[in-house]
Amino acid sequence: MIIPNLSWILLLPLLGLGLLCLVPASSVSLIRRISNIAVLLPFILSIWVYTAYDHVAGGFQFVTNIPWVAPLGISYHLGVDGINSLMLLLLGAASLSAILISESIKERVKEYYVLLLITIIGTYGAFLSLDIFFFYFFHEIAAVPVFLMIAIWGSARREYAAMKLTLFLVAGAAIALIGLLALYLACGLQTFDLVQIQQQLAIHPLPFAVQNWIFLLIVLGFGITLTLWPFYTWAPVGYAEAPTAISMLHAGVLKKMGAYAIIRFAIQLMPQAAHAWMPIIAGLAIINIVYCGLIALTQRDLKYILGYSSCSHMGYILLGLACFNTIGLNGVVYLMFAHGIMAALSFALVGFVENQTKTRNLDELGGLLKCMPFIGTCFMMACLASAGVPGFANFVAEILVLLGAWDQYPGLTVFAVFGLVITAIYMLKAIRLGFQGPLAFKFEKLTDAQTFWAKFPYVLLLAILILVGCLPSIILTHIHSSTKAIVGTELVSVR
Amino acid sequence: MMFPIIDWNLISLEVLISLILVSLVVMDIALPRKVEKDWIGISSFVALLGLIIFWLTQGNLNGVTFSGMFVMDPLAWFFKALFLITMVFVFAMTQEFFKAMGERRNEFYLLLWLSLLGMCFVASSADFLLLFISVEILTISLYVMTAYLKSDELSIEAGMKYLILGSLASGFLLYGISFLYGTTHSTHFNVVQAFVSTHAMSPMTLFALVLIFAAVGFKIAAVPFHMWVADVYQGAPTPVTALLSVGSKAAGFLILIRLFFGVFGAWHFQLSFMLAVLAAITMTYGNLVAMFQTNIKRLMGYSSISHAGYLLMGAAAGSALGASGINFYLLGYLFSNLAAFLVIIVFSIATRSDEIEDYAGLSQRSNLLALTMLLALVSLAGMPPLAGFFGKFTLLMAVIKSGYVWLALIAGVNIVISLYYYLMIVKRIYVDPPRNSSPIAVPATIQWLLGIAILGIVVIGIFQGPFLDAAITAVQGMYLSHL
Repeated sequence: MIIPNLSWILLLPLLGLGLLCLVPASSVSLIRRISNIAVLLPFILSIWVYTAYDHVAGGFQFVTNIPWVAPLGISYHLGVDGINSLMLLLLGAASLSAILISESIKERVKEYYVLLLITIIGTYGAFLSLDIFFFYFFHEIAAVPVFLMIAIWGSARREYAAMKLTLFLVAGAAIALIGLLALYLACGLQTFDLVQIQQQLAIHPLPFAVQNWIFLLIVLGFGITLTLWPFYTWAPVGYAEAPTAISMLHAGVLKKMGAYAIIRFAIQLMPQAAHAWMPIIAGLAIINIVYCGLIALTQRDLKYILGYSSCSHMGYILLGLACFNTIGLNGVVYLMFAHGIMAALSFALVGFVENQTKTRNLDELGGLLKCMPFIGTCFMMACLASAGVPGFANFVAEILVLLGAWDQYPGLTVFAVFGLVITAIYMLKAIRLGFQGPLAFKFEKLTDAQTFWAKFPYVLLLAILILVGCLPSIILTHIHSSTKAIVGTELVSVR
Repeated sequence: MMFPIIDWNLISLEVLISLILVSLVVMDIALPRKVEKDWIGISSFVALLGLIIFWLTQGNLNGVTFSGMFVMDPLAWFFKALFLITMVFVFAMTQEFFKAMGERRNEFYLLLWLSLLGMCFVASSADFLLLFISVEILTISLYVMTAYLKSDELSIEAGMKYLILGSLASGFLLYGISFLYGTTHSTHFNVVQAFVSTHAMSPMTLFALVLIFAAVGFKIAAVPFHMWVADVYQGAPTPVTALLSVGSKAAGFLILIRLFFGVFGAWHFQLSFMLAVLAAITMTYGNLVAMFQTNIKRLMGYSSISHAGYLLMGAAAGSALGASGINFYLLGYLFSNLAAFLVIIVFSIATRSDEIEDYAGLSQRSNLLALTMLLALVSLAGMPPLAGFFGKFTLLMAVIKSGYVWLALIAGVNIVISLYYYLMIVKRIYVDPPRNSSPIAVPATIQWLLGIAILGIVVIGIFQGPFLDAAITAVQGMYLSHL
């Protein structure tokens, strides 16, 4: 069997980016074609990597390791395990749909696709890297392109939103960087190689006092990316004003880099500190779930509802992280995937609606199911998925998280379940006000998504949600093969 | 009387520069006054490219000559290479600048060569007297160039301000040296270093050190010796601003590395906290004030203060990592800052404006200028995959390693503040609609240099290894241990 080379996942879109720079800005259709292919190919490779990954053997596979900056112990080290192979799939699916729905962009097309490709390449790089330096390096690449995309192609308050989002994220990244550097120095191995650090720390854990503050820095820093309460305020406004593709990618995938980093660098490397901080994180998680959920209830703007909803759902991820047992962590990774697909889908649908009706305000919308049955149906299904209805991937994920949480924090879990009810309320409200009821006269001429390629992104994401929701084992085996190594102890019994 | 044996190889660069300077003077006299073509500029440019090629082959020059006053070591080599690269950009800027400004350009070139000579001697000084003289060669030519635009009030004011404060700093330096001489009975770096390693710091030496640091602080524009920066940066002809912000600052850090890591290395731990506090104040002050600037040259002035603050982190760390971090940072800073100044100069020649609000919609007027400015500013802000990122990364690592986590956190906050004002300019360039949409033409030489600067920013940012190796080699002689 041919073993996939992970570098191609980075090189192919990079090649596409290079080609894109050579094409004159006026040949729009060529630009779109190149970008679509440049995003499709890594997705195909990701599927290949995912299926080729041997979950029985576990561990990191398809490893590439090239020394990069020898004096500091930085190496270009790529590899996948059950967690990041799944993240590659998530990014592949989300980025493909994001680039397909970008057909609606008509202004400054070339710049748009260049920036979008840079964002996607950076995110792929972050998920592939097994070197802490390169994780950070790739993770930060997206910051400025996202700023520009929101500021140029965003809606009304785009400049404010772009600046706020970027500054929050960079502040978080800077805090996390200090934590990561401290971790590197505390290990004393002179290497940023995650695998070597893991091996070292598994045998000789850091002193508790040191772990404690490094853990705090890393979780706080990446927690800002993950919209940890009270640092979530950048997200709703950022997602609302961003162009659709960026809302999809950011809410769907980029945000998950925070959770990914917390799993990889904080929980796995510093378990003692993790134990100590867990109750606090769990408490914040509940605030995230309930508080952001309640704010979402009061919103009238569809994108703000989705934005607050996404902050609220990050609470489940945090809660799962705080459980510190396999079932909870499985739920976290599952939810990262499920929520990523669901968020990408719902932002894409709202983007479509906004593009047609020129508004996102629920008070002005209504009855859209009549003129756009396909989009309306997809939106209803996305809402059901978000509310955790069985049959969709989110249900499995949330059940796993709640089971894990029940084991540790039964009292808090009650509130977490309550959060699902809140989700159901605001999602149903959105459906009722936006898609049911009488259709306003001015919207009667609107058209649904008609061609195959116009429907494809939504169908793709929806199909994944249902497939993974009905057959959890196709991703759970991968996840479990890696999470059991992280938490160490096997499944805690469910009483 | 015995003459010391002089190893001319070691001082070859300085000799060549002097020869070029003299022949340019002769050429200036010989050429008829009314020649349109910029012969001196063109020959300077060619000579400079030749010097760079020559210098790259001289990487293994090592030794001491002129009775130990002149030292050639990896540190000197590295910084002379930095100065030469800087000068290529500055000469090209000057050519463009005087195309628009008209007369008296030839003398300006001569002054630039003189300042280069001064910087090269600074790099090789191994004696406080030579150090003082070479700093003066550099600074005096800068005084003249700053005030060069006779009819421009801002330029005159800038020159005056720079002269007064600069002379004060020179006075401090000389005063400090004299106190040091009083204690150590020598001006030789080696002798002083031997003294320092065997004696504890006395109040008198501390006084001398503070005075010397004040002079260096003036050069690198560290708070509280930064008062001149904004007005001088704004008023000076833009090529001089570029030289001040890169060449002169690098020379300052070179002195800092030589003195506070080498000569006074044994006392470093007593100075380290002071340097850390100054670093924190300098970067915070520079960034906070830069946020409110409306003139791009003033903004670059305050931003250069904040970069002095970041660089001082390396000095506070006091380790080999800190020193190589400074070197690497300067390399990235050189390309980023010079790229920004290239854009500023082309823009101001085309529009007669340095106001940030006039940069609105630049991306629709010139793609190349907008892209360069974007990359330069984002690199200065320290975002990957650009050169500025890895410099900040190594410096942060160095201070955390030396135990100054609080300083790293302050630097983190500063990165966010600086990103804010850099992104405000990016926003103007890429988002705002242009007030005047006429395209801006970029001359061919400048296009090439912009390309080189972009290449430098990106290549140093992605393939950090070889450049970090060079930065480490440069300070290797000063430390026994590795990183």
